[in-house]
Amino acid sequence: MNDKNRQIHAFAARAVFVIVLLLIWEYVAKSGMMGEKSELIFPSLEAIGDAFIRNFIQGYAGISLWVYIGNSMKLLLEGLLIGVVLAFLLSGLSMVSKIFYDICNLVISVFDLLPGVALLPVVIIIFGVKPGVIVFLVVHAVLWPMSRNVLDGFLAVPQIYVEAGMNMGLKGASLLWGVYFPAATSYIVSGLKVGWARAWRGLLSAEMIFGVASCPGIGLFINQMRTNMNNAEMYATLVVIIMIGLVVQYGVLSPIEKCTVKKWGMSR
Amino acid sequence: MTKEKNYILEVNNLSKIFDADTEQEKDVLKDVSLKVDRNEFLCMLGPSGCGKTTLLRCIAGFESYKGSVTVNGVERTKPGTDRIMVFQDFNQLFPWKTVEKNIQYPLKLQGIRDKQELKQRTEEVLQKVKLSGQEKYYPYQLSGGMKQRVAIAKALALKPEIILMDEPFAALDAMTRNELQSELLRISMEEKCTFIFITHNIQEAIVLGTRIVVLAEGGRIVVDEKNAIARPVTPASEGYGETWERLHSALYQ
Repeated sequence: MNDKNRQIHAFAARAVFVIVLLLIWEYVAKSGMMGEKSELIFPSLEAIGDAFIRNFIQGYAGISLWVYIGNSMKLLLEGLLIGVVLAFLLSGLSMVSKIFYDICNLVISVFDLLPGVALLPVVIIIFGVKPGVIVFLVVHAVLWPMSRNVLDGFLAVPQIYVEAGMNMGLKGASLLWGVYFPAATSYIVSGLKVGWARAWRGLLSAEMIFGVASCPGIGLFINQMRTNMNNAEMYATLVVIIMIGLVVQYGVLSPIEKCTVKKWGMSR
Repeated sequence: MTKEKNYILEVNNLSKIFDADTEQEKDVLKDVSLKVDRNEFLCMLGPSGCGKTTLLRCIAGFESYKGSVTVNGVERTKPGTDRIMVFQDFNQLFPWKTVEKNIQYPLKLQGIRDKQELKQRTEEVLQKVKLSGQEKYYPYQLSGGMKQRVAIAKALALKPEIILMDEPFAALDAMTRNELQSELLRISMEEKCTFIFITHNIQEAIVLGTRIVVLAEGGRIVVDEKNAIARPVTPASEGYGETWERLHSALYQ
C-alpha cells in the first residue's frame, strides 16, 4: 500500500511540474515578450498541437510523419541488432582469449570516444549516401558502450558462480552462456540503455546532416521543418522524438528489467 | 599378495605454492597425502591458514598443484560432477534460477531430459533437506540456512562420489547450525556417498565425522583418527570430553 502511495505521489509531482512548465510556456507565448521573434521561439501550445496533427496528416513532401518514423525505426533496429550481437561476440571472445581481451579493451576505449558524426565524412566516401551509412553509425553508437558494459559485467561475475558452473561440467562457451551471461544481466541491461540512447541520438544527428532520399527518416523531417522555419512543426516533432524515447524506456527496457534482474532480486 | 584396497579418494604428495617465484612465495600445502574410504564422513579441522580450504579446492579441481588426486583410482585434475563442492558462501546458487531450476540445471547438463525424472529427483532431494514445496522460490527469497539446504540438495541430486563441504554452516546462527548438523548427519547415514567436511568447530567435527583429521601449517596431518563415539553424538556421549580435549590441544598446539 505504501508503495502504491509513493507511486501516486511521484506521478502527481511530475504532472504538476509539467503543467506548470506548459503554463509558463503558454504565458510567454501569449505575452509576446520575446519581441517579433516570439512566434518562432515560443509558438503557442495550440499552434504546436495543430502542427502535431498536421505532421501526421499532411507530413512533408506529401509523406506522413509516420513513414519517416517507420524508416528511422527500421534503420535503428537493424543497427541495434547488429551492434548488440557484435558486442556479445566481442566480449565473449575477450573472455576466452587474453590477447583478444587486451586488443578489444584498447579498441573499445578509442572508438567509444569517437562521435559517430565525426566519422560521417569518411563513411560517406566509402559507402556513398545510402541507408547503410545510418545503420553503420547506429552500430558504431551501440557497439562500444555495450561491449564495455558487457565486458565489465563478465569481469564482475562472482568467482563462486564460475566455480559452481565448472563443478557442473560447464566450460568454454557453455560456461559463458550458462553462467557469465545470466550473471551479467544487470550490466547487459544498463549497456542496452546506454546503447539505445546513443543510437537514437546518433541516428537523428546523422539524418539531420544528410537525408537518404530512398529512406527519409525523422531527423530529415525535423531538419526540413527547421530550414522552412516551420517552428511549430519542429517542436511538435521534438515531442514525437521524446515520446518514442519514453515508449522504448517504459515499453521495452523497463519490462526487460522487471522480468530479469528485478525478478531475480539482483536489483531493486 | 593382498589385493590393494580401493579407496574412493587418494591424494598423493600434493603440494601447492602460492605466488611462486616471488618474495611472497608460500608453501600452502607440502607433500600432503590422504586416503579416504568409501562412505566415510571425513571432518577436517585446522587453524586458519593451514591450507585445508586449498586442499579441498585442489581435490575439487579448482586449483593447479603438484602431486595427484585420484577418484576411484582414476586421476582427476579438472572439476567434475563426481566431486561436488558445497561452499560456505550463501550465494552459491544461481540467483537467476528458482530453487527447482538450480537443482535441475546440473542434472540437465548430465543429459537427463525426462521431465518426470527431473521432477521426481528434485522432490526427493528437497524432501531430504526438508524444503518440500519451496521449488518456485528464487534464492534471494530464502534465508541463509535455506540456501545452504538447497546447495546440499543440489549436490545430492547429482549423486556424486564425494561431496566436498567447505565450512558450509560457519556463517549460520547457532540454532540453525545445530539443526543443519543433525540433518546432514541423518542424510550422510542414509546416502551412499563420501563426505569431506571442513570446519573450525570441534563439536561439529565430532558430531558429524566418522573420521577426524587435524591439519597444521602446510597441510601437515597431526591427527588422523576414527571417531569411535556412538552416534548420534551429544556432549553427554561417552568419550566426547576426551576427544574434544585431544582435538583441541592438537588444534591449538
